[in-house]
Amino acid sequence: MVDNRILLKLKSVSPKILAFARILKVGIIWDHLSSYFLKLNFKNINFWLKRLKYYFSIWFIMSKNSFLMILNQKSVLLIFLAGKILRFIFFATFLFFLVSGAKDVAGYNSTQAVFFFLTFAVIDTTSQFLFREVYRFRTYVVNGDLDLILVKPVNALFRVLMGGADFIDFITIPPLYAVTYYVGSLLTPSPFQVFLYFLLIITGLLMTTAFHIIVMALGIVTLEVDHTIMIYRDITNMGRFPIDIYREPLRSALTYFIPVSLMISLPAKAFMGLAGFDFILFAIFAAFAFLYISLRFWNFALKKYSSASS
Amino acid sequence: MKKYLQIFNISFQQEFAYKLSFVMWRVRNIMQILVVFFLWDTVFSVRQSEIFGYDRDMILTYIFGLVFVKAFVLSSRTQDVAGEIARGEIINYLLRPVNYFKYWLTRDFSSKALNFMFAIGEFLLLYFILKPPFFFQSDPLQIILFLICLGLAMLTYFLLLFIVSAIPFWAPELGWGGHFIFTVIMVEFLSGVLFPLDILPMTFQNILGYTPFPYMIYFPLQIYLGKISGFFAIKGMLISLGWIFILWLLMKSIWEKGLRAYQAYGR
Repeated sequence: MVDNRILLKLKSVSPKILAFARILKVGIIWDHLSSYFLKLNFKNINFWLKRLKYYFSIWFIMSKNSFLMILNQKSVLLIFLAGKILRFIFFATFLFFLVSGAKDVAGYNSTQAVFFFLTFAVIDTTSQFLFREVYRFRTYVVNGDLDLILVKPVNALFRVLMGGADFIDFITIPPLYAVTYYVGSLLTPSPFQVFLYFLLIITGLLMTTAFHIIVMALGIVTLEVDHTIMIYRDITNMGRFPIDIYREPLRSALTYFIPVSLMISLPAKAFMGLAGFDFILFAIFAAFAFLYISLRFWNFALKKYSSASS
Repeated sequence: MKKYLQIFNISFQQEFAYKLSFVMWRVRNIMQILVVFFLWDTVFSVRQSEIFGYDRDMILTYIFGLVFVKAFVLSSRTQDVAGEIARGEIINYLLRPVNYFKYWLTRDFSSKALNFMFAIGEFLLLYFILKPPFFFQSDPLQIILFLICLGLAMLTYFLLLFIVSAIPFWAPELGWGGHFIFTVIMVEFLSGVLFPLDILPMTFQNILGYTPFPYMIYFPLQIYLGKISGFFAIKGMLISLGWIFILWLLMKSIWEKGLRAYQAYGR
């Protein structure tokens, strides 16, 4: 029943979204999500708050350890920090000169184009700050060290996903947010547009979380993580420019299949008042759907883990 | 000579030992080219006139030319040297009757040959999918100059990699960090991989002209496009040769000092 109601609603919004929803079996996912959230009564909320506090304290300890390790290698810290800052400056400079010379790119002026890039940087840097541990995941699987994580009284996914924040990104995040705030203020958004921007940044981060989980699940099944995560990053790098520059069918693939458009371009468009409500609603739903699919895939992959090297 | 041919063969086969890794690397290359292609295609789809001195044919030829030039110049195994020094494995090679520099140069040739073969396939694939306009250079002199510049670019990149790879002699933990700054970030942005350097203001271009970076990607492609010819082509090639000489001396000096400082960690 739920399936039909949602599909009818989506049909009135956009045929493309409807087609995509059919592929994803939206109704079934909606049923699962709603039944999951309906279980949250007040008693459960107290329980979840306690768990949240518990996991936050674990994350804090793991991140502190990770920071201390990096601080012990100051030369490494300095060289990677310099590299990241240089890359950011080089790219922003290129974008500025390109759009200034060409007058606009896909109808966006230089400030708007830079804002698209900054939104990409906000999502990319924040996710790297939180999920740096994913880059070490292959070693855990190949060496069999994943066993030691699985037997601990902490959610294994939480441990391998967020087991050590990146100190270098921790340093770059405040100036990045400040620059994004400054460039964003030049576009004079309304308070509602700012609200939508934050909402869609959160959905974008949920989608990046889902992709990182999928990469790790693939890592368990295939033992290949390094290139998969780099390909994921190459794909998200396409979001450094407004998604409108890409031709069909690539543009649709970047919206519906690997939703770089929803993750990165849509928040910036919403900030400029250029995003339709159908896409905003779709992005919110897609974020939860991707997260749900990624968690199912993770559980499937864990069952395939053979602990061969341990 | 025979032993280097053997090294070439073994290295070529080794690349096939890690098929998935190699295929992923090529997929990443295609994706990077696609991003740049679509960006410039969009810029020129609105205006048919010249921007930054390029028309649509020339800029898309530049982007497609990157497939070949990157495969020839930037494909390399020499970045592994840093790891060998950090892990102490370099000692195995120093004891063998083989010249270490020639060994890695041969391995580089092997990597370039393989990447070049794949680049031809990728070029044809992308050409038939995207159907871009393509500028064919008909002047044989420009083509000869282009090929000479490719050779110079390859040597420049090899020397640069060898110099950066020497960092672990003194700081083993900085092996990847050095490559990250010099051969990933600097080369990507300052050699013309992401954009032709003449979109930058003249002052930047003049300063960059005296560094080795533009002569690796941007300069050979400009010669192919015929945007640089005659006196300016010779001047650029002389600067490139000058850099090869400077980098060669620098590499020799750094490696002599590095080998004296080397303590065979891990062995």
